[in-house]
Amino acid sequence: MKAVILIAINFVREQRWPIFVLLLWVLLLVFLGLVTDIPREREDLLFIFKQVAVYVVAFSIFFGGSATYNERKSRRILAVLSKAVARHQYLSGLILGVAISCGIYCFSLGLTGSWTLGQAGFPVAQVWYLMACLIAACVLSGTIALMFSTFLNPFFAAGATGIVLGLPILASHSLSSRFGYSIPVVELTITIMKASYKVPGARDWFPVLWALAETVFFWILGAWIFTRVDVAVAVE
Amino acid sequence: MGAALEFDAVSKEYRNFPSRRKVRALDHFTLQVERGEIFGFLGPNGAGKSTAIHLAMGFMRPSHGSGRLLGEPFGHARTRRRVGFLAENVALYHRRAGRLVRFYGALNGLGGARLNQRAAEVLEAVNLTDLASRNVGKFSRGMVQRLGLAQALVNDPELLILDEPTSALDPVARVAVRELLIRMRAQGKTIFLSSHLLSEVELVCDRVGVLHRGQLVRLGKTVDLLQSGEQVEIVARGILVTSFAGAVAQNGVVSFSVPSKAQRQSLEQVWNLGGEVLSVNPLRRSLEEIFLEVTASGESASAKGGA
Repeated sequence: MKAVILIAINFVREQRWPIFVLLLWVLLLVFLGLVTDIPREREDLLFIFKQVAVYVVAFSIFFGGSATYNERKSRRILAVLSKAVARHQYLSGLILGVAISCGIYCFSLGLTGSWTLGQAGFPVAQVWYLMACLIAACVLSGTIALMFSTFLNPFFAAGATGIVLGLPILASHSLSSRFGYSIPVVELTITIMKASYKVPGARDWFPVLWALAETVFFWILGAWIFTRVDVAVAVE
Repeated sequence: MGAALEFDAVSKEYRNFPSRRKVRALDHFTLQVERGEIFGFLGPNGAGKSTAIHLAMGFMRPSHGSGRLLGEPFGHARTRRRVGFLAENVALYHRRAGRLVRFYGALNGLGGARLNQRAAEVLEAVNLTDLASRNVGKFSRGMVQRLGLAQALVNDPELLILDEPTSALDPVARVAVRELLIRMRAQGKTIFLSSHLLSEVELVCDRVGVLHRGQLVRLGKTVDLLQSGEQVEIVARGILVTSFAGAVAQNGVVSFSVPSKAQRQSLEQVWNLGGEVLSVNPLRRSLEEIFLEVTASGESASAKGGA
């Protein structure tokens, strides 16, 4: 477990600049909260909050899809895997790193959203529910991207992740709405986007828990694949 | 107690992209590295040395065959706690050198005072104590290589696998690394050393293996390999330099080499000419000569095979 945490913290440290860029969006919301008349501009603030929330899902795919590739290309992975670190521990560390990176953002956004939207009459508890949806969506999409990145380059890993996340929505439109929950990232994102002052939305925890269960599945699948791939670049 | 490192008929094949052509980097490679020895692993570029090392470290899976690292199959994570590894062109995270060494030590299960002590010791061993608080991003290539060696040593490994450990070092640092390896051998550690610096290998290695085109083409004790046994050098005085083909004279002393089989005949010839034999020694070859001979014969064999 110690190795997993060390790898996760190291991942967050290596991704500090993308995280910083993400946090600039939160700062934007803070700035708007300070300079605008919150009760009057509340619809605009909620719109920006929702937009800013969804960006992190795309970032989680970026984090997951490029994690192993960057380490392999730079050969830094060799020094780590030469230690008593099993492949599944390494991948677990990266997934935890993606979760912490997105968690930092979601927590910051949750705090800012509670302050700005709370003043405008949006239930604070609902803000944190939306953040739970967001972190669940991020962790699942990041884990799927990471799973694909064990054998695809980041571009194809991101594309494959997009297809996996998008197919349930296509199926829900053409077959049954229940298919939307088969991989609930888009459904969770829609939950965030649909939130409004009039209808903050019911707190349905099933998609959140289902997303976490699927994260475990893709985590195991990713680890299984990763133990079977060559991580060293063939120099001969 | 078994061997420290064993390859048992290990082969590794890659497929080229996009041609899908098979490339065999290692071909039924069998080798045993005994505990407590420094083993020199030689071969030209592309011979398969790094592939063999990456297989041993579990970075790759063999296409055929198997191997053991300190008695456990390749890829066994917990065994790597007893192994130190330095990759060729080592790449490290850009953070303070001292913290980085502690990070790698912690990955191997070290912690607390023991980790701090080991980190300080290995930084001292590679002469980087003064730079412990400097960011690795500001290090020269030689410093990074020394730091790479420090991270390999931090867990006090039983087996040290080094892939070109001195390629970026200056002569002073090379000598320091050589002395470090000799000290480690004295402590009973095993060192598997892949290097192109044949003079280094010649000085420190107990045994040497030469890999060519994925196959082990020469294996033996360094002293045995260096003593050809086929030629002897005779040093004599009181004879003319023209008496023997290829003889050289210096300060009245004539030296020349002859095949071992002709040694007796040559000595009798010196005495018959009224000369005095000063010494007779087996002619010592350099590792470079052996390396060139082995790889050249491999080239010609493959050329014949391909014709």
